[in-house]
Amino acid sequence: MLFEKFESFVGVNFFTMIFAWINLLILYLVLRKILFHPIKNMIDSRQKEIDDMYESAEKDRDAAKEMRECYEQKLESATEESEEILRSAQRRALLREEEILKQAEEEARRTRERAEEQIALEKRQAINDIKDEVSVIAIQIAEAVVARDVKADEHEKLIDGFIDTMGDQND
Amino acid sequence: MDLNITGPGVYFTFHLFGIPISISQTAVALLAVTVLLIVLAFIVTRRIEKRPAGLQVIVEKLVNMLYGLVESTMGKHNLKFAPYIGTLFLSSFFGSMIGLTKIFASTTGDLSVTMAWALVTTALVWYSNIKNFGFKAWLKGFTEPIVVMTPMNIVSEIANPISMAFRHFGNVAGGSVLMSVVYAALAGLSSLIFGWIPGIIGEIPFFQVGIPAILSIYFDLFSGFVQAFVFCLLTMIYVGSANPPREELPVRKKKAKKKKST
Repeated sequence: MLFEKFESFVGVNFFTMIFAWINLLILYLVLRKILFHPIKNMIDSRQKEIDDMYESAEKDRDAAKEMRECYEQKLESATEESEEILRSAQRRALLREEEILKQAEEEARRTRERAEEQIALEKRQAINDIKDEVSVIAIQIAEAVVARDVKADEHEKLIDGFIDTMGDQND
Repeated sequence: MDLNITGPGVYFTFHLFGIPISISQTAVALLAVTVLLIVLAFIVTRRIEKRPAGLQVIVEKLVNMLYGLVESTMGKHNLKFAPYIGTLFLSSFFGSMIGLTKIFASTTGDLSVTMAWALVTTALVWYSNIKNFGFKAWLKGFTEPIVVMTPMNIVSEIANPISMAFRHFGNVAGGSVLMSVVYAALAGLSSLIFGWIPGIIGEIPFFQVGIPAILSIYFDLFSGFVQAFVFCLLTMIYVGSANPPREELPVRKKKAKKKKST
């Protein structure tokens, strides 16, 4: 016989209860130490790590976004600035061109005027010279051809008047 | 053929200071469950790493489920009870399952064990009540809502562990009794049909092959799991209601003093 006796089917054995308590206590302490706490801590620490990773990734992303926005803004302003510079340069160049042109025109005009004046002056002088010369030549010719009683002064006046009318026609 | 329904068998009895201490099947099975669980715990936690692989994934899932269940039933502030609930569940489930080996008896098929566990629950509830509300308030709680209810309240307080213990014990023990009845019946049926065959063939209980397995799935596996779960759930509910969130606790002089001193 394996068993010396059997306990009642529905009954409480106080010592079995004590065994149950001892076993439960041992199991509780051991499992808590080697199973529940280590596993739970591992899960929690992993969770925390993942959370931290996500958080830092999000932070990095935000920073990157901010940086990109900043760069874009800078780039835009730089483009604007360069355009502005170009525009102002163009404007200045145009202004300068006009000025130069105006100056050149002015100069040209002045030069022409001067030249015209000079020409007019010289022409007048030349006409006067020719007049004198022609009158002298005419007198000489007249002296030679016409008689000696003809007065030289009257002849000169006559020829001058004649040439003047001719000169006026020429002008 | 005889069928005896008895409690757990007693291997031997020794006397300690004149007190007879009997070592029954249950005591041996309890020890076996303890050793088995500790060995299993060592095996599954031998190599736990940040990046889980294989067995660790399953163990973590189960532990997470346990903590989730405790949190949803008892609240976040009572998570410290999770290891105890887990231990209770494993003890109960493996205690029921170890009966399947036929080498050991189911520990939960002995009223002493379930009663011991139920009394732990009651002790936790009383301790928590006294700690959280004070001894006087706890005693006063029995006279509510009206003084006439006092005997009823006391009875219900005593009935709690008894009902818990008997529910668990009854299911497991009833299942095992039913299984032995079925086995005996099938043996009888076998001998009735094949008994005329001379020699050893006539004595083999053919009907015992396969048919009890289906019943065993329900009475041993399913029932064992459900009862373990129910026992843990009741423990969680009772202990959880005795440990309400800190905000709901009445302000006590003792605590106020402590706060002042710190």
